[in-house]
Amino acid sequence: MDELKICYLYPDVLNLFSDGGNITCIQKRLEWRNMKADVTRVFLGEKFNANDYDLFFIGGGQDFEQGVHLSDLMGEKASEIRKAVEDEKVFLAVDTGFELLGNYYKASNGTQYDMVGALNIHTEAGKERFIGNFCFENEAMGKIVGFENHGGRTYLGEGVKPLGKVLAGKGNNGTDGTEGARYKNVFATYAHGAVLPKNPAFADFIIKTALERKYGREIELSVLDDTTEMNANKYMVSRLGCE
Amino acid sequence: MKLRAVLAIIACKLTKFILRVMKRGGTNLPGKIAVKICPSVLGVMARGVTTIIITGTNGKTTTSRMVEQCLEEAGLSYFANRSGANLLTGITNEFAMNSTIFGKCKKSYAVIECDEAAFRHVSRYVDAKHIIVTNIFRDQVDRFVELENTMSGIRAGIENSPNACIAINADCSLTTSLVKNVNNKIIYYGVDCPIYEELVSEVSDAQYCINCKSEYNYEYKTYGHLGKYSCPECGYKRPDTEVYVTEVVSSDLDSTTVNLKISDSEKLLRINLPGGYNVYNAISAAAVAKGMGIDEDKIITALSSFECGFGRMENFDIGGKNVRMILIKNPAGCNQVLNFLTNTVKEKCLFVTITNDRISDGTDISWLWDANFEKLEELGDKLPMIYVGGLRADDMANRLKYAGRSLDRIRVIKDDDALLDEIDKADVDVFIMPTYSAMLSFREKISKRYNLKSYWEN
Repeated sequence: MDELKICYLYPDVLNLFSDGGNITCIQKRLEWRNMKADVTRVFLGEKFNANDYDLFFIGGGQDFEQGVHLSDLMGEKASEIRKAVEDEKVFLAVDTGFELLGNYYKASNGTQYDMVGALNIHTEAGKERFIGNFCFENEAMGKIVGFENHGGRTYLGEGVKPLGKVLAGKGNNGTDGTEGARYKNVFATYAHGAVLPKNPAFADFIIKTALERKYGREIELSVLDDTTEMNANKYMVSRLGCE
Repeated sequence: MKLRAVLAIIACKLTKFILRVMKRGGTNLPGKIAVKICPSVLGVMARGVTTIIITGTNGKTTTSRMVEQCLEEAGLSYFANRSGANLLTGITNEFAMNSTIFGKCKKSYAVIECDEAAFRHVSRYVDAKHIIVTNIFRDQVDRFVELENTMSGIRAGIENSPNACIAINADCSLTTSLVKNVNNKIIYYGVDCPIYEELVSEVSDAQYCINCKSEYNYEYKTYGHLGKYSCPECGYKRPDTEVYVTEVVSSDLDSTTVNLKISDSEKLLRINLPGGYNVYNAISAAAVAKGMGIDEDKIITALSSFECGFGRMENFDIGGKNVRMILIKNPAGCNQVLNFLTNTVKEKCLFVTITNDRISDGTDISWLWDANFEKLEELGDKLPMIYVGGLRADDMANRLKYAGRSLDRIRVIKDDDALLDEIDKADVDVFIMPTYSAMLSFREKISKRYNLKSYWEN
C-alpha cells in the first residue's frame, strides 16, 4: 500500500488558523484511494530527520508564540529544512509558515529577523492587515479560494514563482498580484485555515507530487466524488465575483 | 456639555421609540445616534449607578443573566443590556433607556455585558465597581487577530477601573495573567476538580507559560486550557480560589449539580443549565455577588432558580417535541457543546447547524476545522441526520464529510424557511447549533411562526 509519511511541524504553536484541517484532508483523500498517511507531529524543541518524511506541513501561528519557534528553528533545524527543500521534498507552508521559510522578516520597527532561508523571498511588516476571503488562480489547479489574514508583505525573489495570480483579495503584498510561492516542491500560501478541503485540485496536486517524488514513477490518482468540496469552492468563487 | 448630552439622550429615546412602533428590533441604531451627538454621554448617565461589567470570550450573556437573578433575589433595583447589544453604542442605548432626559439613572445597579474589544472604550466612561472576566479563548480571529490583542484590550479596561472588585477565573491562565500587577480587590473563582470523564481532544489556546513560555503542567483540566495549571520553570500557577466547586455531583441534559463553596460552608447547587461551561458561568456570578455583599443563601436560591435565555441552550416546544438552540461561535465553545452532547444524548435526535460568516459571527470560518466534529460520529445511530444551513452551509457540509460522516447523513438546506419546515416535520428532539447572526435571525423566524415573544419585547 502506497503511503505518505507526513511531518506536521509544530502543531502545538503553529495552528492558529485551524491548519490541522489540511492534514485531515490529505489523510482522508489518501484513505479514500486505499493509501495511507502516517502523520508525525513534531513539537517545539523536538528534533527530526528530514529523510524520514515525504511531506512537510507548517502552519500559521500567533505573534505571542512567535518568539518561541523562531529561535527554535534557527541553527540545526533551519539547515535540516533547507536541505529537505533542496532535496525536493514536498512542503506545504501556510501563513506564518510561509513567511518563516523566507530569508528574513522585517518588523515595523525596522528590526530584521533571520528566517529559515529555504525560499528566496522576504517579508516586511505592513501597516494594515489584509483580512478576508480571497481567490487566486493556478494554471494546473484552477481557482483556489481561502481566507487571508496577514500583516506581512511578502516579495518573491529570483527563482521563486507565485503559486497563483490573485483574482480577488490581496495575496502576497497587495500590489504585484501574486499569491503564495512555488519553488522546487514547495507550495506556500497565505490562504490559512483548512485551504485544502475546499480546493481538492490543490490537495491532489500536492499528494501526487509527494507520491511521485517518493516512488520515482508517474502516479495517476483515482478520481473522487468532489461534489461537496466543489460546492464550497464554487460558492466562494461566485461570491467574490471570480467566475 | 450638558445640552449636548440631553440632546443625545432624547434622540436616542426617540429613535428607539420609532423603531419600536415600526416593530424593528435593531438594538444598535439609537445608541449610534446618541454617541454621534455626544460621545461622552455614557459617562454622564453612568454617574451614580453601581455598574457590574461582564466581559471575556465565552459565557458573557448567561453570566449576566445569572448576575441579574442574584440582584433580583437581593431586592436591588437594576437594569441590564439584555439583548446582547454589548458594544459602546448598545450599552449607551441601554443606559439612555434607563435614564431621565437629564442623564440621571432611574436604577441603582447596571448589569452590563461588554464585548472584550469594546471594554477599553466603555471603561473610559463607566467607572465599574465590579467586573467579571469569564475566560479568554481564541474567538473570531479575524476581528481580534490574536489572543494578545484581546488580552491587552481587557487589561486596558481593567486599568481604567481602579475602583472595581474583579472576579477572575482562576482556571484560565490567560485570564489570571491580566491582574498580575493591579491593586484591585480580586476574587478568584474556579472548579477544584475535573468536570468531564472524557474530553474531546482540542488545540489548547494556552499550552505555554505566559511568562516564560515553558509548557504548563496540569493536575487536571476541566475543558480547553482551563484547569489546575502550573509552570515548572517560573512557578506561575493557578491561584487559590475563594469561590469554588468542590465536586460535580451529577450532570444530565438539563442541569448540573455541584457542591459550591462561597464563604463558610459548602452548599449543594443545582444549575438548570447543562454543560461544564455553565458551571463556570454560575460560579462567576456567585463570585461577583459575594463581592457585592449579597447573602450566600440568596445567591444559591438565585442561581438554582435561573432559567435559560436568548440562544444559549434555549428550549422551544415545536410540534410536540423539544427543540434546543445552542449558540456556537468559536472552537472552544463548540467543543464544549460537542462534549456535552456526546456525553448526554440518550435518544435518537436531529442536529441542525446554521453557519453564517457575517461580521458578528466572525468572517473567518476556519475555526470549523478546529472543532472536533469527529466526536459526533460516536453517537452512531442516535444521530442519523444532520441538517446544514446558513450562508456557509457548503463549508459545514464539507467539514462533516471530512469528520467521517457519510453524505447520505448530511442534508444541505440553505433557505431558512425550508429549514424550519423540515425541523417542524421532524419527529425526534432537535438541537440547533447556529452562529451568532444565525441565532438572531432563526430565533426571530421561530418566534414569528410559533407566536413566541421577540427578544426585544422581553
